[in-house]
Amino acid sequence: MNEVQFIGERLIYGNLGHLAVVVSFGTAIISTFAYLFAANNPQEKSWQKIATAAFYTHTISVLSVVLMLFLIIRLHLFEYHYAWQHSSTDLPLEYMVSCFWEGQEGSFLLWIFWHVVIGNILVRSAKSWKFEVMAVVMMCQIVLTSMLIGVKILGYKIGSSPFELLRNAIEGPIFKQADYLSKIKDGNGLNPLLQNYWMVIHPPTLFFGFATTIVPFAYVIAGLWKRDYVGWLKPALPWALISVMVLGTGIIMGGFWAYESLSFGGYWAWDPVENASLVPWLILIAGVHVMIIYKTTGNALIVGMILIISTFLLVLYATFLTRSGILGNASVHSFTDLGMSGQLLLFMFVFLGLSVFMLVKRWKELPRSAKDEDAYTREFWMFIGSLVLTISAFQIILTTSLPVFNKVFGTNMAPPSDVIQHYNKWQMPMAIIIALLTGIAQLLKYKKNTREGLINILTQAAISIVLSAVAMFLLELKNWFYVGLMFASVYAIVANLFTMRPYLTGKFKMAGANVAHIGFGLLLVGVLVSSANKQVISINQSGMQLNPEFDAQANMEHVYLEKGKSLRMGDYEIEYKADSTEWVNNYFQVHYKKIKPNSNEVDYEFDLYPNAQINPKMGLVANPDTKHYISHDVFTYVSSVPKEKTTKFVHEKLHEVKLGDTIYTNDGYAILENINSNAKESNLDVKNLSLLIAAELKVYALNGTYSATPMYGIRENSEIKFESIVDEAKLRFKFMGVNPQTKTITIETAEQDTSGDFIIMKAIVFPWINFVWAGTIIMIVGFLLAIWRRLSENQRLRN
Amino acid sequence: MKNTHITIIALIAVAIGAIISTYGDSSTYEGFTKAAENPDKEYHVVGVLNKEKPREYNPQLDANLFTFYLIDEQGKESKVVYRAPEPADFERSEKVVLIGKMNGDYFEANKILLKCPSKYNEGQAPQG
Repeated sequence: MNEVQFIGERLIYGNLGHLAVVVSFGTAIISTFAYLFAANNPQEKSWQKIATAAFYTHTISVLSVVLMLFLIIRLHLFEYHYAWQHSSTDLPLEYMVSCFWEGQEGSFLLWIFWHVVIGNILVRSAKSWKFEVMAVVMMCQIVLTSMLIGVKILGYKIGSSPFELLRNAIEGPIFKQADYLSKIKDGNGLNPLLQNYWMVIHPPTLFFGFATTIVPFAYVIAGLWKRDYVGWLKPALPWALISVMVLGTGIIMGGFWAYESLSFGGYWAWDPVENASLVPWLILIAGVHVMIIYKTTGNALIVGMILIISTFLLVLYATFLTRSGILGNASVHSFTDLGMSGQLLLFMFVFLGLSVFMLVKRWKELPRSAKDEDAYTREFWMFIGSLVLTISAFQIILTTSLPVFNKVFGTNMAPPSDVIQHYNKWQMPMAIIIALLTGIAQLLKYKKNTREGLINILTQAAISIVLSAVAMFLLELKNWFYVGLMFASVYAIVANLFTMRPYLTGKFKMAGANVAHIGFGLLLVGVLVSSANKQVISINQSGMQLNPEFDAQANMEHVYLEKGKSLRMGDYEIEYKADSTEWVNNYFQVHYKKIKPNSNEVDYEFDLYPNAQINPKMGLVANPDTKHYISHDVFTYVSSVPKEKTTKFVHEKLHEVKLGDTIYTNDGYAILENINSNAKESNLDVKNLSLLIAAELKVYALNGTYSATPMYGIRENSEIKFESIVDEAKLRFKFMGVNPQTKTITIETAEQDTSGDFIIMKAIVFPWINFVWAGTIIMIVGFLLAIWRRLSENQRLRN
Repeated sequence: MKNTHITIIALIAVAIGAIISTYGDSSTYEGFTKAAENPDKEYHVVGVLNKEKPREYNPQLDANLFTFYLIDEQGKESKVVYRAPEPADFERSEKVVLIGKMNGDYFEANKILLKCPSKYNEGQAPQG
């Protein structure tokens, strides 16, 4: 066997990277066991030393893996499959960062990286909890780093290495050549949908959110392990809040990305991949509430522990759903299957097993409250609220898991055909209950003043009824669910504003819950109004019935827009003005004029530049463009463009003219100013011409004055006609012949056929969508305040 | 009976409701034959595009009408009407999922999902 010696491969990067993966895997195992033994023998200092050394080696090796993978992408080392698959040479730097996590391996690496960051914080701050908590974190690192190993043991592939060589990953005759690398000029490039600013920051945020869920989980396990059922709560609570904040931010960033760069028209589509990240977040919020209940009353510890454990397990379940390929036909944007579903399942069951084992082992000892929760307390209603959140999450994960049930039970169920309606039916009533509870529970504060509380509830309810009635009237809400949700959200805002008052003077960090609930209320208002009153405006109103065969009202949501022609669409008059190309994107300039109702006056006007990338791999990839106003957004995307643009001329017409005559066309007129029989045209092939005459025309079009010089020549007894095209006027002139008898010449005019230059577009108006973003930001500020409060509480206890 | 117990019973009731609702709302993957038997019910039909037969989309005539022929997994073929522009890269899809119902002699698709071999990762081998 003769081994081919390949030329030009830079194998050092991959070898170093792979070595670092193996070292990080090994050190994860060592430090897990060392932390475990250190926890069991606190006197024995040597275990601690080993654990610490292994952990720092692990940190360095993970950082090396990250560096190597980034260098491979940055330096365009296409001998590596990952670089070839996910990047290309023409990408700007920020998108090369996105290439890093486009593939499964890179996104696992991102997760591993965040665990390392979190681990480094924990070894410094976890104090007496350090060994137990770190053992859990490092155990997770064993599993995660094993996903990157990429070796085959007994025919079973363990992990998938990001440092796999292209020639090993793909078969092809080209790899028999020693200099194959010189023939691979460029990589596959980054998916155009991911070439967006939000895709640079959304994945790291989301993965940081996922990564943080391990900390409260580790504290619960550590609490069970050490039989300290109270102490774990204090350090775990700020981490749980951080997790809620970061995961929430990551999810909404994903929504914003979808809204800004996907063409489905919205920020949430109940896609399984979105649901998979939302569910752990909802459960974690429920968990945080129950932790607070336990902190003030000593009740509901078990429920709190189960919720925190479930959050982490649901993150693992989400990982399994999106990466195993099981979603198949159900989702449009899960990762490709890397054949690791077995390993992913194992990942989930290892931690499920650990949790169940720990809970069962300590079940009898867990403190339970003997007395019943009084229905007139804040905590009782907080508990109810948490349960409603849990139910809401349960319903989402149930429908999302249909493909899993199909696999397990061999059934043939498909997701509901109207997914939105299916989820709304469940989620709306639950949102109403939760919004109401955020107001009511706040009033029944700390188990006292129920009478006063009731009066407050009634006052605020009255204010909210008035406000929501006004909103209902203005927005013309008809559906009773919408009306209920509007009232509940307004009530959540009003009630929390009231209860926040005492904190406004100095104790602002106490207002975290109120601020977060106000944000939640605003978010609900935004979701309600922007989707209930969402209006597809791209409906042709020219009155033309194009295809009488079908019912005109059936979702005709796309309009045909020819270049240069305007069209009335709802309250807008639109015109497709021009197109331009920048890098790989084609931008289409669409001019909007908002017409005042009942008049023809223009209210305001603006341009949108939706773009379409004709991608060799994916065909037309549309990126929408949105005009943001405070009260509404106008969203537009191009759904189709002509396959190829043709420059065709139509309406040919002959004109017999003499000097000074005028030629009329549909798009303007031209005057014959001169006939030059001594024309010399250097650009033209004038060899052997016995005659060359030029007609000098002045062209008056709508948008300006131009000149055209069609020419006529004779070569060896045959006529030659040189046409003259005036692009700006969309006219073509041809000199057809000379008529000596009448002393006239014949000019042919033709008009450019613009019907082949068009776009098909869809436009949607989203009213008050800014409430969604504003509500989210306020909610995040609320989480921040709550984190600040809990951290300073812990600080105070320590001093 | 404690308040907590009442709550938990209510909780279980709602959870059962959710399960039943999911089951009730769920559609099924079927072929055109089944869809023709129940013209009022929406189905998911999985199949491949018949490339021999015409695929029509004439935006100048009607920007919201796209018709094509699909062969379902049982091998039955039907005309499909989709009242929206032709999805990008349609002819290169290796599998098509339609969501909709039968309407006389054609299948009215409300939604089309495409499975493209090239969509995310599987690229073509490098040309040498």
